[in-house]
Amino acid sequence: MSPDDIAPDRGAHGGVTPGRSFGHGLPYLSLEDCPGKIIAIEGTDGVGRSTQIRLLREWLEVRGYGVIETGWTRSPLMQPTIELAKSSNTLNKLTFVLLYACDFADRLEKEIIPALKAGFIVLADRYIYTAIARAGVRSVDSQWIRRLYGFAIAPHLVFYLKIDADALARRVLEASGISYWEAGMDMKSGDDIYDSFRTYQRQLLREYAAMSDEFGFRVIDGRKSIKNIQDELRRQIGEFLEETSAPATPRA
Amino acid sequence: MFVTDWNSSVLVKAATKTGKKKNALTPMTFSLLHATDFADRQLYNIIPPLKAGMIVLADRYAYTAFARDVARGVDRQWVRDLYSFAVRPNLAVYFRVPIEVSVERLLARRVKLKFYEAGMDMGWSTNPTESFRIFQTKVLAEYDRIVDEHDLMVVDARGSITEQQRVFRALVSENLEKLRG
Repeated sequence: MSPDDIAPDRGAHGGVTPGRSFGHGLPYLSLEDCPGKIIAIEGTDGVGRSTQIRLLREWLEVRGYGVIETGWTRSPLMQPTIELAKSSNTLNKLTFVLLYACDFADRLEKEIIPALKAGFIVLADRYIYTAIARAGVRSVDSQWIRRLYGFAIAPHLVFYLKIDADALARRVLEASGISYWEAGMDMKSGDDIYDSFRTYQRQLLREYAAMSDEFGFRVIDGRKSIKNIQDELRRQIGEFLEETSAPATPRA
Repeated sequence: MFVTDWNSSVLVKAATKTGKKKNALTPMTFSLLHATDFADRQLYNIIPPLKAGMIVLADRYAYTAFARDVARGVDRQWVRDLYSFAVRPNLAVYFRVPIEVSVERLLARRVKLKFYEAGMDMGWSTNPTESFRIFQTKVLAEYDRIVDEHDLMVVDARGSITEQQRVFRALVSENLEKLRG
């Protein structure tokens, strides 16, 4: 297969129609009449996703689109439990994965699907790919985790902000320092937080790279300036929206 | 011997409690929370005693989720795939009662039916007893399917406790002898 055969034509959905479930889905919820779009920004810790999403939101709203943001572990139902679990060292890899899935399900049903029905653009700060990458690094069965997230809706676009582990380490250190979880210290690969960070993030980056073809990521060089990255995102999103929809008047 | 109950892990209790109090759980989050609870208990309460050669008595197992979550509209295959990490029990026993007996016993308890227990989240009926009847009928139908699919041993739970216990003990003895032999 030549590189031209992959991502753009197939879209960000791994062979699944965007706006539909990857797998078995939620039989009790209809996805008919969901004119909204999901745009996911993926990438490892500290790569600059949140900044890009904030800028995208302003740009889209000025152009007349209704926009909501949804972010990893932000569901009101699960956030306290996930915080507790992270601080108390009782998590094993399976409960970790399942708590994240529950957080995602809550946001999917309470935030994402209602927004799609109302014609909004959903900007997702991380999507199921983060869960798959983290599970992959922790040797969770790759088929099992994909089937688990079969209820998720395939996004219309997935941008992957790609960066190498060394550049990432410098950036995270400049910003806020390396956290326990960003360093994958639960993997117990050693006591040195810098070494552990690099080892863990390298493994994560490998997982993302492996998913890139499978799910049709649009890869963007995360080492470029904020403005450069934003310009590229706007260009590609602008093209996509022009093809698929004019600004919709969000329904009340 | 070690006893483990459904829905008892400390980790998940907070979220389940919040969700139940606010009636905020959907069939999917309900299902995933219970699976998380099960995963947590399997790690701490089921696998260690098994490794120590003990008998684990589980009050409910993954089959409860297969029946209940599917009755709520979760995909049948999805929930089976979800629990594929669960250790397969050496013996699974299903205490079966017809729907009328189930409702009768419930009413005899004279305690208020809980929101999720009665399946009120599904909006089938605003009357808790009626809602329970509809929900439980679906749950029982799923159990019948599970009995065949997973070779559950069935105990007729209409009889007296003494009689049920006699049958149950016979099943357990037979199984233990088979394992020893």
